[in-house]
Amino acid sequence: MVKNMAKNNQRSHKAQVVLERFEKKLNRQIVGSLVACVHCGNCTDCCHYVLANPGDTSFAPAYKADQIRKIFKRHFDWTGRVFPWWVKARSVYTDEDLETLQDIVFGKCTNCRRCSVNCPMGVDYATFNRMARGLLVSVGIMPEGVAVVSKDQWEIGNQMGVLKEDYIETLEWLSEELEMEMNDPEAVIPIDKEDADIIYTINPREIKYDPRTISDAARIFYQARENWTMPSEGWDMTNFGLFSGDDDLGGAVARRVYEATRKLRAKKLVMSECGHGYRSTRCEGPNWAKDDIEFEMESSVITMLDYVKSGRIKVDKSKNDSSYTFHDSCNNARSCGLFEEPRELLQIVVGDFREMYPNRCENYCCTGGGGAMSMSEYSARRLKSAQIKAEQLKATGAKYVVTSCHNCVDGLTDLIKHYKLDMKVTQLVNLVANALVEERRGVPVPEVPVEVKPAISLSGKKILVTDDEPDFLTFLTAVLEDNGASVLTATSGDEAIKLARVEKPDLITLDLHMPGKSGIETFEILRKNDDTSSIPVCVITGKPEMRKLIYDRAVIPPEGYVDKPVDEEGILVNVRKTLEVVHKS
Amino acid sequence: MEFQHFAEHRLQEIALLFMAIVYTLRLIWLFKFKAGKERQPKTGLPGTSMKKGILYSWANIFMPWAMESTRAKFFIYLQFALFHIGVTLAIALSFIIPYAPTVLEIPLVVMLLQIFIGLACIIGVLRIIRRAGGKYMRAISTPDDYFSLILLTVWFFFATLSVPNKGGTIQLVYFLLTAFFLIYVPFSKISHYLYYPFTRYYFGKTMGFRGTYPIRHVPPPRA
Repeated sequence: MVKNMAKNNQRSHKAQVVLERFEKKLNRQIVGSLVACVHCGNCTDCCHYVLANPGDTSFAPAYKADQIRKIFKRHFDWTGRVFPWWVKARSVYTDEDLETLQDIVFGKCTNCRRCSVNCPMGVDYATFNRMARGLLVSVGIMPEGVAVVSKDQWEIGNQMGVLKEDYIETLEWLSEELEMEMNDPEAVIPIDKEDADIIYTINPREIKYDPRTISDAARIFYQARENWTMPSEGWDMTNFGLFSGDDDLGGAVARRVYEATRKLRAKKLVMSECGHGYRSTRCEGPNWAKDDIEFEMESSVITMLDYVKSGRIKVDKSKNDSSYTFHDSCNNARSCGLFEEPRELLQIVVGDFREMYPNRCENYCCTGGGGAMSMSEYSARRLKSAQIKAEQLKATGAKYVVTSCHNCVDGLTDLIKHYKLDMKVTQLVNLVANALVEERRGVPVPEVPVEVKPAISLSGKKILVTDDEPDFLTFLTAVLEDNGASVLTATSGDEAIKLARVEKPDLITLDLHMPGKSGIETFEILRKNDDTSSIPVCVITGKPEMRKLIYDRAVIPPEGYVDKPVDEEGILVNVRKTLEVVHKS
Repeated sequence: MEFQHFAEHRLQEIALLFMAIVYTLRLIWLFKFKAGKERQPKTGLPGTSMKKGILYSWANIFMPWAMESTRAKFFIYLQFALFHIGVTLAIALSFIIPYAPTVLEIPLVVMLLQIFIGLACIIGVLRIIRRAGGKYMRAISTPDDYFSLILLTVWFFFATLSVPNKGGTIQLVYFLLTAFFLIYVPFSKISHYLYYPFTRYYFGKTMGFRGTYPIRHVPPPRA
């Protein structure tokens, strides 16, 4: 049928392939959703994009859905095939048509499913929007960030391109810290321990620039006397296949985690707080991987709640003495029904909890969902649509927004900064760890002096901060100076090179996307110049898709790498870690 | 008179038969697509289940409080309800006139039918205005959307006037429109009711299995 159409119309190769694959992707649920829409318009006001962009009809869920539906009607639905104009059926012919579709399915929808739960007909737009993403990805039409992250997850095994040695090194470093803190040789992060009761999998973001969440989880496991482990392979429970619509990637990534669990004969797979990771591994993964899972899988939220309720850990809520609200991740709440447990746990570990409205599966998206944080070309649109979430947050009056999703952490942090809200983002694992009433089990050995390894001090360190964004420059300078560093600033690559040669700083932080000489060119020049080649560089960028470019250079890669948005703590941890790595070497 | 009898009986039977055949073909077509399989273990709170999700999903249409979209726009929901009651009664009328005309000798029945079908006609006009006048509605509307709505509204008009069963041109037009309606429906958006049980079944099954259905709506406390 599709082939006959192609004979009559000039169609690009990619458009032809998309149509052929479209047919193969259809199942009864999707076909039902494609034929059942009555254009009642009830979904319109449910979408945060519509609410934040009044008057722009291209954001209306039914309109967006129709851009996919019209292709279906033109090729598979009888009225559309005979009288296409009557039902606005239209095929795709050119690569430009596919790029227009890309703008809709990637740039105007986060697949949050809010319209789906508000559709009187039960049309699940998010599901076939994901299908359309997958079709475009299959012919290479996708935002650059999606391509880079997907490639990393295919080739390196995790979506942030973390190398195995870096992962292990970070865990060992955190493990040593825990052992010293607890003064107990049993207070460790076990790697590849067989027959553990729990195998703990994480989001690579935690390794990259939020290692505190791992050490907090480790402290909780230690206090609960849990028999746990972390795998050296298959540790990334996030899955970009959910965002890209690529079921093959989804299956391959999920399979890695399941295989790690089986290999170590763990009884239960526990996933750290990540909405899309939880949904991908717990709910969609078995379908994509065609694997009937025999072991238990749960979110760490449920594990922590179980510890508190069963008395395995004790908490003191007075330790979390600020005001807190809770943001439901769309993937957790709307697609997996995980919304009461985090609230229950939160109310156990904080004194002042303030509900956000609407909430649970009616909550608005953080606006960073569906992989939006990796699509920098849509950042302005994303932040504009974040106005709805910002108003929701502000109305709570809370000082902290708690969320069980790393993607939401980034999305919320970004919008809080953009809308200048007096608020911080945190996760349940941080609050539970902070509220722990810790039992010191370690046996002190006074005869042997314990070598306490202090965190690398920034005092006396000269740091050159390079970024063209004045706000970020001010923020970073303030953070580093408050911690004792002496800061030099540069707003362009040329200025940074000049200052680096003259001042010989201890560390250079480098933005990649700058007018004039880019961060990549600047980095290469710094590395090739004898005067500056040994100065450690920490890349801080809002363009994650450029990471590959910098690591592809024929020079020594940067010592540190941080994705924007980043908070004060994230900056300090990474700067210290970069200096520590250099110090050790 | 002979043509009127033909329009009320044989024509309707042919149109109904045609619609039944086309609908059957449509269902065969729909079932040719495989149903997606859910391999994952259940999620959500105890008490939520696939079965409950399906029942909740089917009943959703009768619970305007269940979805934000109907909760927040109760007037639109009310219009929807009355419009569909009008559709049901206007269809019933096409059977009552030829097969049970004595029912229409009861004045109360005539009055109630005329009130509800008449209301549906007025709502049809309101819906046409809403669809043509709203920027968002225009953006998502197709010629079929407009035509189907106008067709139903005109049909309601003639149905309302035909309720007393006095015969004549108006009643003839009503039956001709009914026959056209039956033939046109499977090719238009009006056939949505055929898909409704399936879309809501699958969506309810998924959302029930994952603990989202029944939806927990927690409104802000009253000041």
